[in-house]
Amino acid sequence: MPLLHIAQLSKRYGTDKYALDGIEFTVDTGEFVAIIGPSGAGKSTLLRCINHMIPMTSGDVFFNDTSTKALPAHTLRTHRTQIGMIFQHYNLVNRLSVIENVLHGRLGYKSTAAGVMGWYSTAEKQQAVEILQSLGLSDHMYKRCDQLSGGQKQRVGIARALIQNPKLLLCDEPIASLDPSAAKIIMDTLKDINQRLGITIIVNLHQVDVAMRYAQRIIGINSGKIVCDATPHDLTPTIIHQVYGSEAGELILDFGEQHAQA
Amino acid sequence: MQSTTKIILRPWNAATLILRTTIISLIVITGYAFTTFNTRGVDFWAGVDMLGSNFQALLLSPQLKNITFVTMVHNLFITIGLGFLTTIFGAAIALGFALLAAQNLAPRWLTVIIKGLTAFIRAVPTVLWVLIFAVSAGLGSVAAVLGMTFHSAGYLIKAYAESFEEIDHGTIEALKASGANWWQIVFQAVLPSSATALLSWTFLRFEINFSTAIAMGAAAGAGGIGYDMFMASGYYLNLHEMGAFTYAVLAFAIVLEAGATRYKASLSK
Ligand SMILES: Nc1ncnc2c1ncn2[C@@H]1O[C@H](COP(=O)(O)OP(=O)(O)OP(=O)(O)O)[C@@H](O)[C@H]1O
Ligand SMILES: [Mg+2]
Repeated sequence: MPLLHIAQLSKRYGTDKYALDGIEFTVDTGEFVAIIGPSGAGKSTLLRCINHMIPMTSGDVFFNDTSTKALPAHTLRTHRTQIGMIFQHYNLVNRLSVIENVLHGRLGYKSTAAGVMGWYSTAEKQQAVEILQSLGLSDHMYKRCDQLSGGQKQRVGIARALIQNPKLLLCDEPIASLDPSAAKIIMDTLKDINQRLGITIIVNLHQVDVAMRYAQRIIGINSGKIVCDATPHDLTPTIIHQVYGSEAGELILDFGEQHAQA
Repeated sequence: MQSTTKIILRPWNAATLILRTTIISLIVITGYAFTTFNTRGVDFWAGVDMLGSNFQALLLSPQLKNITFVTMVHNLFITIGLGFLTTIFGAAIALGFALLAAQNLAPRWLTVIIKGLTAFIRAVPTVLWVLIFAVSAGLGSVAAVLGMTFHSAGYLIKAYAESFEEIDHGTIEALKASGANWWQIVFQAVLPSSATALLSWTFLRFEINFSTAIAMGAAAGAGGIGYDMFMASGYYLNLHEMGAFTYAVLAFAIVLEAGATRYKASLSK
């Protein structure tokens, strides 16, 4: 069943050239999609059009078969609650505790007053504790976020997205600021969320090898256009060079494992 | 091989030229002024001597004469109260408007309007605002409160708005992406992230308002220790009493400084 359908989506910032130019693809429920492409290709722009953090210029985004092009403010909030977002720089409120940051994921469901005062129900708090436990953060629940390591901060970011009970997770370079072992924990966590909870995941990545290892499907973007849409299995070095617009031999690629299995 | 050309560290350009011309002119003007003062027959060294003994009377033998110690403390608290009240009023007004003046929280046209207005308010000195309000309220404490509040608000709107603008854009984006609305973002992300900065600015403004309140006591008849100082210096010509007031003000300034430092430390730990 299609969860998300992007239809001829274009985005232009002011009068610059198009950052996205006629993007079209469909994502089914439960898919794990990686988006790769060179810097400035439009990967972040694409994710932000899906949850309307920025307005699209033309085209449409269908979520659950519903057009989201012209959402009134109230419906827009509901739309966003169904989509969790994870960022390269975690984007937590550093002065607040871990659990407070996690509970921020519930704000979209709350009345203005309850959100302003930070009133959360017992069920919400319980869910926050459970999610933190499942991510191995129960010891840090009351720590301030600026006392955490990068990997821990990213897990708090994931917890904040999960407590939204989202149908879709958008991850904008979630491991770009992490060391390899923390990055592996985060990617394993995302994979686990995808398989165990059945949450659809779209993740922007700079590391082709990570995309090939974790994603079921890889979409390559260059200059706002889709260059390839393939399974990791079908992704050849030639296609990857097309995505990055580079000559063969100019990229650091590690195909060893995948193609040995193939 | 040894190079013989001289290496110039500061090449001449318009900026250095202007700077040096200014410094040299200032030196010349100062020298000229000192040689041409109208001293009205007062001997320079006698003047220095008198200044020394005046300071001695002021600082080394403070003594109250026309009012009691209790009255002095009471009047000090009137001045503190004036400074405190105007800071709190100003801060409350500023908090609301600063949210509308911060570029990451309000539409651009609104921020431009509010920032423009506050720039105007700040450009007019506090004393002038007090005098302007004195037209309708009469010279006295009401005009002082209104004028000082007005200028404090103008100052704090700018300071608060800039603190808001400094907070990480990503944090706001993250809450927005989870469906939070503007008020929720303000209270759950913006205010917690900028609390220390807001507090620092408010304390700084309180220090400014305290000293302004002393001046207003004398200049605008707002009462408090400033008025006592005015009387001691201009009416009773009593330097010993003046010294006592100075120490009272100094004592409070030290307490304020220590308190502010400690409070900020406890907030940012
Ligand atoms: N807020 C903005 N205003 C104007 N132009 C923008 C803005 N954000 C992005 N762009 C432009 O849009 C294009 C796509 O940017 P985007 O951030 O989506 O790329 P990206 O693929 O995420 O790159 P990276 O891998 O470096 O994160 C770039 O040319 C960029 O300069
Ligand atoms: Mg990006």
